[in-house]
Amino acid sequence: MSENEKEGSMILEVNDLHASVEDTPILRGLNLNVKPGEVHAIMGPNGSGKSTFANVIAGHEDYAVDSGSVLYNGIDLLDLSPEERACEGIFLAFQYPVSIPGISNAYFLRSALNAVRRYREESEVDAVDFLQLVRSKMALVGMDEKLLQRSVNDGFSGGEKKRNEILQMAVLDPKLAILDETDSGLDIDALRIVAEGVNALRGGDRSFIVVTHYQRLLDYIVPDHVHVLSQGQIVRSGDKTLAHELEREGYSWLDSGDKPKKSEADQKVQEAS
Amino acid sequence: MNNEALQHWNNSLTGQSEGLSSTEDLFSTRRKAGVDSFQKNGFPGRRHEEWRYTSLKSLSEEGYPACLPHEGNLPEVDELITSSDIRIVLINGVFRKDLSDLTALPDEVRVEGFSDFRQRANTQEIENFDRMLPLSDHPFQSLGDALLDDGLVVTAIGNTDARIHILHAYDGTDTSGSAHITGMIHLEGGARLEILEEFRSQGQVMGNTRWGIHVGDECTLSRQRILRPGCDVVFHGSRVEVGKAGLFQDLIAGSGSRLVRNEIHVSLNGAGGHTDLFGGYVSDGDEVVDHHTTIEHAVADCTSREIYRGVLGGKSRGAFTGMIHVHQDAQRTDAKQSNDAILLSRNSEMNTRPRLEIYADDVKCTHGATVGELDEGALFYLRSRGVSLEEARRMMVRAFTAEVFGEIENEGLREQIIEQLQAAMPASECVT
Ligand SMILES: Nc1ncnc2c1ncn2[C@@H]1O[C@H](COP(=O)(O)OP(=O)(O)O)[C@@H](O)[C@H]1O
Ligand SMILES: [Mg+2]
Repeated sequence: MSENEKEGSMILEVNDLHASVEDTPILRGLNLNVKPGEVHAIMGPNGSGKSTFANVIAGHEDYAVDSGSVLYNGIDLLDLSPEERACEGIFLAFQYPVSIPGISNAYFLRSALNAVRRYREESEVDAVDFLQLVRSKMALVGMDEKLLQRSVNDGFSGGEKKRNEILQMAVLDPKLAILDETDSGLDIDALRIVAEGVNALRGGDRSFIVVTHYQRLLDYIVPDHVHVLSQGQIVRSGDKTLAHELEREGYSWLDSGDKPKKSEADQKVQEAS
Repeated sequence: MNNEALQHWNNSLTGQSEGLSSTEDLFSTRRKAGVDSFQKNGFPGRRHEEWRYTSLKSLSEEGYPACLPHEGNLPEVDELITSSDIRIVLINGVFRKDLSDLTALPDEVRVEGFSDFRQRANTQEIENFDRMLPLSDHPFQSLGDALLDDGLVVTAIGNTDARIHILHAYDGTDTSGSAHITGMIHLEGGARLEILEEFRSQGQVMGNTRWGIHVGDECTLSRQRILRPGCDVVFHGSRVEVGKAGLFQDLIAGSGSRLVRNEIHVSLNGAGGHTDLFGGYVSDGDEVVDHHTTIEHAVADCTSREIYRGVLGGKSRGAFTGMIHVHQDAQRTDAKQSNDAILLSRNSEMNTRPRLEIYADDVKCTHGATVGELDEGALFYLRSRGVSLEEARRMMVRAFTAEVFGEIENEGLREQIIEQLQAAMPASECVT
């Protein structure tokens, strides 16, 4: 990476990040820079640490950061509580969204929105304004309004849960959204709707990190950069063509012990920077 | 209880009880029986099976034996949203007509004191009274009898609907002590009543409330008891009989009481009778919340449902004893009981004792008890959406008690109750 890129304004700068779960090291020197407005895809085999990375960025306490640094808009992200990170504009769409029986989706979303708005010193929204806002966002992700009165993710189908994540993202208006396997468990129609919802939110300075196992999602959400995570490190980076290459070749080359090979895709990134 | 402390109660009791008999003679037998019974039995110790989880030791403190004065001030608490304009005020256990508002009472509903009742009532009513409020060896009932001054009778007969707010206020700011109130609620001829009992207290007070409740055929009584924060010692005893197709719904909610013992005995005596017994609480410090329920399925084709949920922090303790007794003829009984607790700290404790006695063969009886911790996954999920840790914890109180409070129709009241419990949620021990 060139000096220029390092000095340019970054929304996220991850430097030599080491993190562990229950004393098992998972992330082993992860580096990643994301500029405002960019869409990065992180791909990699199961167990490579993709969700661990997403959870570390969101501030999950089960994941201990052992060394390295994460700057978010120039501030030390690791110093912030999960709620502060969210209020500062970080959003994680969970791979496995949590259900909360007894709290309606509407109550949950409004509490979250108002918490974020209070933090941003904006006035809270009342029930009427909230409903108007949430309805327009539900249309965006093709979600049934009935799900508003249901308990959060309780008894939701896989697709409904994923849409609900995107709905929350749309309502909370983050600056950096991490989508952790948002495509898993979705059929092709649902995938398209969710991707369209995400694309509608693209633009301006909003950045995305799209974590996925399969290239399929990236046909719809076209990334600016693609990274391959293996054993807690980014072992290859490239442009969107890298995703296609991985689709063809799979991840088996990672196990062969071969040095990651340079391809056309890698080259383009090098030149672009 | 040690002898000295008991002596203190006994001396006080005899004196006070005799003091009462000079002013009002109708209850002298009852008072005498109460004094005798209490002097014989006193307060049970924890070796007594029914009192294993609730220590009455603190009641031996000198502060409690004297009855609180009849005049006292209403503790300052935000008004409950009640949607009822019928209001009965009791201060320190005494029905205060001057502070009550009964103007909107329908003709079919009567509210009166015991003395008025006993002078007016016909033989049948007196018989009901004696059946619903029998003499007993129960320590708190004995005390209530011994110190019986006047009580409250609510009678609703016929096709009528009413919502009544009963405010029990205890003022122990100038002098600590106890207050005893005995009451009877009688519904007949399809009457439907909703009764909200609100308990407000300040200072060191033992409030002892006993109800005899008759829900006649096709009648409905919906009762909600709200213990506002600051109650000290709360004893509630209810004996309820439900007739054919009758419905008795009970809910008790509270936080911030030092010692709560809620005893309720419901007998389903007519086919199609149903009862819901619900409770929800948040406790902290060394508070004790003890729910003790008995449901008698005396006849066939009745249903019952019990849901009690507590969130316990600090060194607080919860207890639930739930007896379901299905009599031999009570075929097609459907009874569900559950008691769930969230323990927030290592020193908090929950004891659950389901007791099923089933003598009929065609019955559905289920009981379940769970003890868990706050759902860390849900907490992180909420926090990842910007909700602060403390607010997320409070939201978990809402989530956990949703089943208990979900059926309160008045949304304003429901929110007030949930907010009271949320406000009582102990702060997290390690803030991150
Ligand atoms: N909460 C956890 N507890 C224990 N092990 C975990 C936990 N989360 C992840 N791991 C382990 O860390 C490794 C990386 O997992 P993860 O980040 O979920 O990978 P990916 O998302 O790339 O499939 C795996 O070996 C997994 O078993
Ligand atoms: Mg994963």
